[in-house]
Amino acid sequence: MTALAPALSLRGLARRFGATIAVAGLDLDIPSGSFYGVVGPNGAGKTTTLSMATGLLVPDAGRVLVHGVDLWADPHAARPLLGVLLDGLRTFDRLTGAELISYAGLLRGMPADVVRERRDDLLAALDLRAAAGLLVADYSAGMTKKVALACALVHAPRLLVLDEPFEAVDPVSATAIRGILTRFVAAGGTVVLSSHVMALVERLCDHVAVVAAGRVVEAGTLDEVRRGIDLEDRFVGLLGGAVPEQELAWLRPSSA
Amino acid sequence: MVATVVRLKLTLLRNTLRRDRWRVVLLALGAVWALGAVPSVLGGALFLARQDVSVRHDMLVVVGTVLVTGWAVVPVLVFGSDDTLEPARFATFGVRVRRLVPGLLVASVLTVPALFTAVVCASAVVAWGSAGTAAAVVAAAGAVLALATCLLAARITTTAAARMLGSRRARELSAVTAAVVVTSALPLAFGIGGLGLEGTLERVPGIARVLGWTPLALAWAAPASAADGDTLGAVSRLALASAWVVLGAVAWGLLIRRRLVNPSEGSGRSRRQVDALLTGSRLGAASRERIAARAIGVRARRYWVTDPRFVTALVSLLVLPALITVLLATVVDVPGIVAIALGPLLGATLGWGRHNDLAFDGSAFWLHVVSGTTGRVDRWGRLLGLLGWGVPLVVAGSLAGVAVARRPDLLPATLGLALGLLAAGLAVSAVTSVALPYPVPAAGASPFASEAGAIGASMAAQLVASAATAVVALPVLVAFALAVAWQPAIGWVVLALGAGGGAVAVRAGVVLGGRVYDARAVRLLARLR
Repeated sequence: MTALAPALSLRGLARRFGATIAVAGLDLDIPSGSFYGVVGPNGAGKTTTLSMATGLLVPDAGRVLVHGVDLWADPHAARPLLGVLLDGLRTFDRLTGAELISYAGLLRGMPADVVRERRDDLLAALDLRAAAGLLVADYSAGMTKKVALACALVHAPRLLVLDEPFEAVDPVSATAIRGILTRFVAAGGTVVLSSHVMALVERLCDHVAVVAAGRVVEAGTLDEVRRGIDLEDRFVGLLGGAVPEQELAWLRPSSA
Repeated sequence: MVATVVRLKLTLLRNTLRRDRWRVVLLALGAVWALGAVPSVLGGALFLARQDVSVRHDMLVVVGTVLVTGWAVVPVLVFGSDDTLEPARFATFGVRVRRLVPGLLVASVLTVPALFTAVVCASAVVAWGSAGTAAAVVAAAGAVLALATCLLAARITTTAAARMLGSRRARELSAVTAAVVVTSALPLAFGIGGLGLEGTLERVPGIARVLGWTPLALAWAAPASAADGDTLGAVSRLALASAWVVLGAVAWGLLIRRRLVNPSEGSGRSRRQVDALLTGSRLGAASRERIAARAIGVRARRYWVTDPRFVTALVSLLVLPALITVLLATVVDVPGIVAIALGPLLGATLGWGRHNDLAFDGSAFWLHVVSGTTGRVDRWGRLLGLLGWGVPLVVAGSLAGVAVARRPDLLPATLGLALGLLAAGLAVSAVTSVALPYPVPAAGASPFASEAGAIGASMAAQLVASAATAVVALPVLVAFALAVAWQPAIGWVVLALGAGGGAVAVRAGVVLGGRVYDARAVRLLARLR
C-alpha cells in the first residue's frame, strides 16, 4: 500500500429517497493506482454511491475526497481529476459520436487541436471509427457505452469511475476496453468500476468491495475478500445465501 | 376488451389525479367551464329549433365542420395532450389491433372536451326535435356518428403526426406541412377579408351545401334531408357518414398497427463527416470558458434542426406569428398596421420559448455537471446557440412587417420592440430555466407526449416567465406605445432601449441565472430525466 492519499475516499456517505434509504453511512477508501471493483446485488446502492462519489448527486451526509480534494467543498479543483461513466443517464444523442467526444473535451476547456487528436485516438482505440459520423441516437447500446467511455477519458483524468462499463458491450469491444483500463492503471491511474459479473471483477480487479443495503459489507484486496474460494460463492455467502426457491409449477410451455 | 380499456383509462385517471393536485384543479375548472357552456349550447339549439330548415342545416353544418376540424387540428398543435392510452404502450401485450381500436375510441370519450363535444352533438337532436320524429331519429343517429368522427379525426391526426415528427426526418416533413398549411390558409384568409363579413355570410348556404356532403358534416346535414321529407337523402347521408367512420377506424387501426410493430422510428440514419464542434473554431488562444461556451452554442444550434421537439417549436414559431398577423389583418376590418406585430411576436415567442431550456437536455445535462461547467459559461453558451440566427430572424420579421404595413416611419420602434422582447425573454429564460424547470418529453420521444404530473409545475413556470418577461420589457412596451400613438420619432428611443437595454438585461440574466445554476446544477440533474 502506498503512503499517498487514497484516490477516492468516501466518509459516512448517506442518501435517502423518500422513505427508502439507498446509502446508509458508507465508508470506503480506494488506494491510488488500484483497479477497484464494487459489487453488490440489485438495489444495493451502487449507482447512488458512485453518483455521489462523482459529484452528480448531492449526498444527505458524508464527504468525498478525490486525491485529497473535497469534491463537494471544492468541485472546481476535484472535477478535472475525475472521469465518469454512469449507467442510466442520457447523452446528447443528436451529436455524432465524434462530435460527442469533442463536446466532452471542449466543455472541459481543452484547446481544439488537442481535442481533435485525442478524439481520433479514442475513436480508433474503441473501434468507433466507422460510426464516427453517425448520430449517437442511431448507436446500439454497446456503442453508446463505448462513446460515453471515450467522453470520460478525453481529458486524461487521474481517477476513472465507471458504472457497469461492460454492460451491453460485445466481447471484442470488452477486450479492447479491458486493455485500455489495464494500461491506464499500469500507468498510475486508478479505476473504480461496478459490475454484476463476478468473473469479470475477479479477472480484472485487484481490490473488491461488496456493497449491500447501502453499506460496505466487505472490502480489501481481491484475495482478502474471497478468502480462498470463488468470488461468486463468497458473494452469495456474504449476502446470506441464495433466494429460497419458489417453484413456479405453472410455468410450462404447454399450459394455458 | 372495450370494458378492460375503459377500466384501464379510469384507473390511470384516478392515479394521475391522486399524484398531481394541479390536474384536479384543471379538471375541475374545465368541467365547470363545460357545464357553464351547456345552457348556451342548449339555448342555441332551442333557438335553431324555431328557424327554417335551411337555416338550421347551414348553421349545424358549419358547427359540425368547425368541430371536426378543431378535433383534427388542435390536439396536434397543443403540446402535452393526453397520451395515457398511447397505442404504442400496448405493443408488448399482444392484443389484436382490431380488438383494441373500439376500446381506445370509447375510452377517449372520457375527457372533458370529448364529453362537451358529445353534448354539442346531442344538441342537434334538440334542434331537430320540432321537425318531426323522423328528423329527430336521424339527428340522434347523426349525433353518434358526429362524435365518432370528431374522436377519430383527433386520433388519426395525432397518431400520424407523432409518427412523422417522431422520426428524424421531421425537419423536411414539418417544413413541408408548414408550407402547405400557410399556403392553403393564406388565400382563404385573404378571400374572406376581400369579401368582408356580410359577403362571407352570403356565401354560407352555398358552402354549407357542399360541406354537407363531405365527411366533415355528413352526419350534421342528414336530419335536414329527413325534415324535408327526403328519406333517401337522409339515409344515404347517414350511410355515407357511417362508411367514413368505419374507414377512419380502419385507417387508425393501420396506423396503430404500424406503430405497434415499429414503435420507435429508426429511419433516416444520417451521417455527417465533419465535426461541427471542431470546424470553424479559431485555434488561437481562446480562454477555457470561451471554448466551452462556444461548444455549448454549437450543440444547441444543432438541436434546433435535429431534435423533433425543437423542430416542432421552430415550425410553430414561424407559422404562428405569420398566421396571427394574417388573420388579424384580413378577417376583421383592422388596418394594415397590425402587420408590424410580426417582428415583436417572433422576438417574444423566441425569447420566452427558452424559459425551460435546460429540461430539454434531460439527464444528458450530466456531462455539463461532470465537466465543471460554470453557470455563466452554460448560460452564455445557450444564448450563443440562439442569438446567431434569432436576431437576424427577428430583424427580418420586423422589416417584413413594416413593409407590409407601409409604415417605414415605425421601423425603429418596431425593431426596438422586437429586439427588446427577444432580449427580455432570453434574460428571463436564463434564470427560469434553472430556477423553475419542468419535465418535458424526453429526447427522441414524440413531441406531443405529455409528462404526467408536470402540469402544475409547467403552468406555474410559464406564468412566472410570462409575467417576468412583461415586467422586464415594460419600458420598451411603454415607449413603443408612445411612438405609435403619439410621435414616431420616439421610435429611436425604443430602438435604443430595445437593443441597448436588451443587452444589459441579457447580461444581468446570465449573471443571475449563472448564480442560480452554480448553486443548483447538481440538484437539477436529479430532477431531469
